Amino acid sequence: MNEAGQFEPKIVAYVCNWCTYLGADLAGTTRLEYPPNVRIIRLPCTGRIDFNLIVKAFEIGADAVLVSGCHPGDCHYTAGNYHARRRWILFRELLEALGFEMERIHFTWISAAEGRKWQQVVTEITEQTRKLGPYKNLYADTGNGSLPIPEAAPAVDQPAGSEGSLRQRCHQLLADGTVKVVIGYGTGGPVCVTKPADVGRLVWNNQCSSNLTTYLKRQEVRKLGRAAIVVKVCDERALVVLEKESQLDRKDLHVMGMACNGMGQPKCATCDVRVPRFADEVIGEVASVPLAGPPNAAPRGGAALEVLLAKSPAERMACWAREFERCVKCYACRQVCPLCYCERCIVEKNRPTVIDPSPTVKGNFAWHITRAFHLAGRCIGCDECTRACPAGIDLRLLNLSLAKAAEEHFGYRAGINRDVEPLIGAYSLQDKENFIR
Amino acid sequence: MSRIGVFICWCGENIARTVDVDALAQEVSKFPGVRCAMNYKYVCSDPGQALVREKIAAEKLDAVVIASCSPHMHLKTFRRAAQLAGLNPYKVEMANIREHCSWVHHDRAKATAKAASLIRLSVEKARLDHELQPIRVPVTRRALVIGGGVAGIQAALDIADAGYEVVMVEREPSIGGKMAGLSETFPTLDCSQCILTPRMVEVGQHPRIKLYSYSEVERVEGYIGNFTITIRQKARYVDISKCTGCGDCWSVCPLKRNKSEFDYGMGVRASIYVPFPQAVPARPVIDAKTCAKIIRNGCGLCEKKCKAGAINFQDTDKLVEEKVGAVVVATGYKLYDIGEKQDKASLAGYGEYGYGQYKDVIDSLQFERLLSASGPTNGVLKRPSDGAEPKNVVFISCVGSRDNAKGLPYCSKICCMYTAKHAMLYKHKVHDGQAHVFYMDIRAGGKGYEEFVRRAIEQDGAKYYRGRVSKITQEDGKLVVRGADTLAGVPITVEADLVVLAAAMRPADGVAELAQKLNVGYDEFGFLLESHPKLRPVETNAAGVFVCGACQAPKDIPESVAQASAAASKVAVTFAADELMREPEIAGINEQTCVACYACLRACPYHAIEQAEVRTPRGVFVKHTARVNPGLCMGCGTCVAVCPSKSADLEGFTEQQIYAMVESLV
Ligand SMILES: Cc1cc2nc3c(=O)[nH]c(=O)nc-3n(C[C@H](O)[C@H](O)[C@H](O)COP(=O)(O)OP(=O)(O)OC[C@H]3O[C@@H](n4cnc5c(N)ncnc54)[C@H](O)[C@@H]3O)c2cc1C
Ligand code: SF4
Ligand code: SF4
Repeated sequence: MNEAGQFEPKIVAYVCNWCTYLGADLAGTTRLEYPPNVRIIRLPCTGRIDFNLIVKAFEIGADAVLVSGCHPGDCHYTAGNYHARRRWILFRELLEALGFEMERIHFTWISAAEGRKWQQVVTEITEQTRKLGPYKNLYADTGNGSLPIPEAAPAVDQPAGSEGSLRQRCHQLLADGTVKVVIGYGTGGPVCVTKPADVGRLVWNNQCSSNLTTYLKRQEVRKLGRAAIVVKVCDERALVVLEKESQLDRKDLHVMGMACNGMGQPKCATCDVRVPRFADEVIGEVASVPLAGPPNAAPRGGAALEVLLAKSPAERMACWAREFERCVKCYACRQVCPLCYCERCIVEKNRPTVIDPSPTVKGNFAWHITRAFHLAGRCIGCDECTRACPAGIDLRLLNLSLAKAAEEHFGYRAGINRDVEPLIGAYSLQDKENFIR
Repeated sequence: MSRIGVFICWCGENIARTVDVDALAQEVSKFPGVRCAMNYKYVCSDPGQALVREKIAAEKLDAVVIASCSPHMHLKTFRRAAQLAGLNPYKVEMANIREHCSWVHHDRAKATAKAASLIRLSVEKARLDHELQPIRVPVTRRALVIGGGVAGIQAALDIADAGYEVVMVEREPSIGGKMAGLSETFPTLDCSQCILTPRMVEVGQHPRIKLYSYSEVERVEGYIGNFTITIRQKARYVDISKCTGCGDCWSVCPLKRNKSEFDYGMGVRASIYVPFPQAVPARPVIDAKTCAKIIRNGCGLCEKKCKAGAINFQDTDKLVEEKVGAVVVATGYKLYDIGEKQDKASLAGYGEYGYGQYKDVIDSLQFERLLSASGPTNGVLKRPSDGAEPKNVVFISCVGSRDNAKGLPYCSKICCMYTAKHAMLYKHKVHDGQAHVFYMDIRAGGKGYEEFVRRAIEQDGAKYYRGRVSKITQEDGKLVVRGADTLAGVPITVEADLVVLAAAMRPADGVAELAQKLNVGYDEFGFLLESHPKLRPVETNAAGVFVCGACQAPKDIPESVAQASAAASKVAVTFAADELMREPEIAGINEQTCVACYACLRACPYHAIEQAEVRTPRGVFVKHTARVNPGLCMGCGTCVAVCPSKSADLEGFTEQQIYAMVESLV
């Protein structure tokens, strides 16, 4: 607030050193006046500006954030801005799904010659933000919305005889020494079978919904030696992602693909393939159960995502606020995710503290934004996080919103194609930028 | 507790008019960690810098913030001042309270408040500045030149004459490039081979140039000053260390009717051949695709005939490694192949001109061979179909150039000139002949160029029609060229004996793959990208890699040579010192926390990140990790942003610093 009691917005601008910073310099040299509300943080390149910095700016009380760099083709480092652009496309979609006020986050390309553009952009953002008033809703104390309940597909029996064939094959594999351990489903949960005599512990029925690939990151499992793992097509996608990210040498693993009729889970409602494609062997044949759509059709986030996105941003935010309020930061979602394999999670980093570790509204938002965004273009939709969450937060919807964005903007589905490079870390000159001024 | 000194500059009136520098100094001196804060009229002046140096010493400052103008203006100045006073130069930060504050705001109170917050931000950053040392990179003072056309030859000779060793890699059996096959050259009409071959011989004999002909670059590792190049020497089947170049082999070879690449199919050669008599090295190569011995274990006559025992049918490709400190790319161009088959979807070819269908429709390089005294016709102008002397020749320029519809949008720049040359040389050979030129515009910018074109028209009587040719057909043994003269506004039909197409210039085949190995950018047409079109025309964005000649854009010989000398001088600059100094503000990776997902490796625009292993001092494998090559990193920070475990970080802009800055804005 200023002396007149008028609201003075605080605007944080992350700008690259070579274009926008110099553009702002030029505005100075040419004495172009603009409101004094903006604080520039100079970084070498837009390539350096990650989403955590944007979140941080709002956490410290920014009312709007501006991110700006060199026009396409002008990057001092040739491609930093292209990498940034791709991340922003996805990040904006996540913010949309959260119901964030998009009028508070601005992306521009401002060159060293565009002093006037800098002046205009800063002036307009300041005025616009002044009208919006102080930013608070991300950290509103309580929410009162309720998330749509995910619909489930009917449970169907699994192909008859699959269980027997599975046991038989595992017996062979263990007996002839092809593998030292089979990671499979047991009656009460996952089992690691190391002796041929124990293959009877393996089961295959419509309770096998969990994704066993998450056990591959566990040291105690790795220690057991070469493994065979039982996967459904949805789980198999995790292996494809892990392989791309050098977390897995596919040769070191024997993959037993199970033809699956669906497990009666929400994810099964949108499943469009039923037979694993990259497995070393496939067991069973699917019944002629109707699929949710033709193979590789767009991931329909399902009706639940549509219901969420149909709400107003304020309503969405209220829903999430209420959900995140319950988060106790137990990190079960992280623990169970097959693709969350960092040894030191970013939330544990304390110099600096990127994410407030406390289970407060701020800390919870920062965590959930980070968790979801780290899975952008990676999440394969196994929904383990949602099932693991003791507070019953429907994390799935955030993942789905990003999966939908990846598909819509880049024609990309995680874990579908072994030959395509990961979405983040690559870019295309054609990546859209209609949101960048 | 840090001991930070803050120096607020008035910049005369520039800052002091709008910002209350006294109040500011007072407020700033209360910031935590600030040892002293003062203001001064011109901190960048000699006495200003002296004040900074004095205070560094007197107050034992461990970091300095200069609140003045843009760091782009004076950061270097103040870093030098700090260094003189014994403070590590990377412990200097600037707060830009002029361009970003006093010059753009009028309200004194608000500007002063903003200045304070900008200084606060810089103080927080300065507190966390690390002492950094410039990175010293040892330099192998040896250069690689890729491509032995006139550009590569010029660059190699210049570098070698400057006293450095040169490794030249040429993929054809001989160096010389396109120029070796040209007849006479505009604008002076000197004989191309007469001026080029002595230069080729010089390359062949230069004590400091090592020539790998019939070879290609297989792999490039390392970075400026320290490249390791793997070269593939293609199987030549002739041991050139034994061969004396006597020529017995190609005289005895029974398979003499292979199309000569050097003559662009206008002439023939044996299966064992030197591409042209003045080749460097003047040693033959066996064409494995046609040699009867290699294909079906027949013949073998050359082996029997060779007194030196140089023929080796068992020869295979060999890989050799060379260490160099800089690379010059001079891979030149090729002509747009105007036939029906195209390598790019956007190119449609010019089927309507009958190239490849009518023998007497040829491209401009083929015509050069027909004109050349050492060409397949010994310089006597005979048309390919029946050897008759053509009395009417049509030259069509801009075939494939400046054509968005089915060619390339750019101007190939040299065709106007060589077409005029062709018309002129033709007239010199066929005195009663008539040259007809279809053109779009005549672009003859250059010393003596316009005069040259005028000479072709006025002295040698070439008829110029402004307009495009729509179709060429063959009727009664004549080529009927139908076009328009848009200046006269009439359609024209010319009955021709020979048609020469000035096809667009395109980058040589394989240049994109080469560029990827070298990490050099290229445009949508495949021409290599310079760092800056005006200020850094021969540098590329890969440090230590330079470009020259037609691989960068269409250009003629004078320009190619000028650019080659420029590239050579840049190489000499790189080699001037034993060590290169590089900015230390680069990325590093915490190998303890890195999970080896290699997101950073994929994203790094400079391929500066490599896969590595962490091992115990005893050499036991612990884990995989990403590692930054300090010779390649340019410090953009893209890796930091994509690293999920935040194991990558950037000196000069560390995570801690950035968060401290943002948090200071609370
Ligand atoms: C018909 C015609 C007439 C012309 N007449 C004139 C004239 O009269 N006057 C004038 O000034 N200019 C003229 N020019 C232009 C002239 O040919 C060029 O300016 C000149 O040849 C460019 O030289 P360069 O060394 O860049 O390329 P090039 O001559 O193309 O040489 C490139 C060399 O690199 C080699 N190479 C390519 N790729 C690789 C690789 N991957 N690895 C290793 N080696 C490789 C090639 O084999 C070649 O030897 C004419 C051009 C044409 C088409
Ligand atoms: S800072 Fe940029 S150039 Fe350096 S390693 Fe990281 S991504 Fe590569
Ligand atoms: S992105 Fe981070 S975790 Fe992944 S390899 Fe690079 S430094 Fe390691």
